[in-house]
Amino acid sequence: MKTLRKFTLVLALYVALAISGSLSFYLHQFFSIGNAANLLVPVSMMLIALFDDTNNKEVWLALGAGIVSDIYFFGIIGIYAISLPTISWLLQKSARFLPEVFWAKVLAVLIASVLIEVYTWLILNMTGLSSIGILKLVQSILPTLCWVFIFVCATYKLWWNLVLNYPFMVNLDNYR
Amino acid sequence: MKKFLQNKKLLSAVVAVILVFTILGGSVSLRNKRNTPLIIQSFGNDVVAVGSRIIDFPLSFVSGSLNNVHDLLNTQDENNYLKSQVTELEQAKARNSSLEAENKQLKSALKLKETLTDYDMVQASVISRSPDSWTDLLVINKGTTSGLRKNMAVMSGGGVIGRIIEVSAASAKVELITTSDKSANRFAVQAQATNGKKVHGIITVIGDKTLAFTQAIDSKKLKRGTKIYTSGMGGNSPKGLLIGTISATTHDSFGLSDLIKINPAGELNDPSIVTVIQRKVSD
Repeated sequence: MKTLRKFTLVLALYVALAISGSLSFYLHQFFSIGNAANLLVPVSMMLIALFDDTNNKEVWLALGAGIVSDIYFFGIIGIYAISLPTISWLLQKSARFLPEVFWAKVLAVLIASVLIEVYTWLILNMTGLSSIGILKLVQSILPTLCWVFIFVCATYKLWWNLVLNYPFMVNLDNYR
Repeated sequence: MKKFLQNKKLLSAVVAVILVFTILGGSVSLRNKRNTPLIIQSFGNDVVAVGSRIIDFPLSFVSGSLNNVHDLLNTQDENNYLKSQVTELEQAKARNSSLEAENKQLKSALKLKETLTDYDMVQASVISRSPDSWTDLLVINKGTTSGLRKNMAVMSGGGVIGRIIEVSAASAKVELITTSDKSANRFAVQAQATNGKKVHGIITVIGDKTLAFTQAIDSKKLKRGTKIYTSGMGGNSPKGLLIGTISATTHDSFGLSDLIKINPAGELNDPSIVTVIQRKVSD
């Protein structure tokens, strides 16, 4: 059972993925205002990366979460499977220079969310899975950021506790 | 070239970019060409679908309760409207059953087994929606085990809302009719013109998720309010599924061809229960 504790974050991300799909469905009327995107899974991954910036294995967690999200939500691999590990790695690198305060982390997540939004738009347009104009993308950024802010505020404490107590692939007993 | 090959960081970056594009291209190609996804993909879909169903249970309960309150508030108006429809409905049902019997007799006389209008229906619940509002994808809780196949039409709220694009054992992805996906299969449709003739065309999406009846010959004879149905000509959907009604007939931005805008009949915003249409006649 103790070995499974190392994978608590995997389970938590799986639940976040399922919740994200259900939220997109039930709150579609609200998300469709300004064509906002539901970035619950990327936000979760970003917070994990910021909280556990010294754990190099988080990038693999991001890759796994990205592949599963891509398969389930888009049916193609290459949207979250690329953006999540990249953003995760970038945030881990920048976390060392960020002040340990809530607002600094929020700002980092907001900037990273814009990058993910732009990357998703680029890939969807490039592959022809959607043809959305750049104006629509620009218009969708502010509503998306509002949702990102809500998700960060709602899940900040949860991810903080999970990362602190159950870091990915790290046996804390070795340090006790 | 020698310098480039010696720069390991640059070389790794180029290899990574090529790898990314290869994976992307490969998965898009697989998505469009294969009738069933790869086993690993199908497994991933079903594993997340199980979680979604568990999460969906309390959420649908809360959502259902809120809808019930809303329905209660509208009960009086709804009741008055339904009362006015009951008489007409009884008459329509009686006429429908006699027409059905007549249709059956005529088919047997002509030795026709199954026609384009014959289909079976499978009820399913929506458990997820794509996280961005650009891809227009739904995930439903039925898959190949319930007889679903790729490209089957999906209806909700009395009209067609999309078609299945990927089907796993216990879940399937539905692409909405309003999608701007360039590779999406379009519905072959028909409408009755003012002179009684049938006008054939396909459904395409223009601008901001607006449906349009395009590639139609003699489209000038279509009036506002005319109902658009599937023609069964595409090889995937049966004939006679309602797509919507004509909301406006204008010209395109170049002023050259007619543009017929359609008001979709299906419930595209909140399709919690959907019906998958299994065409009986094979391609």
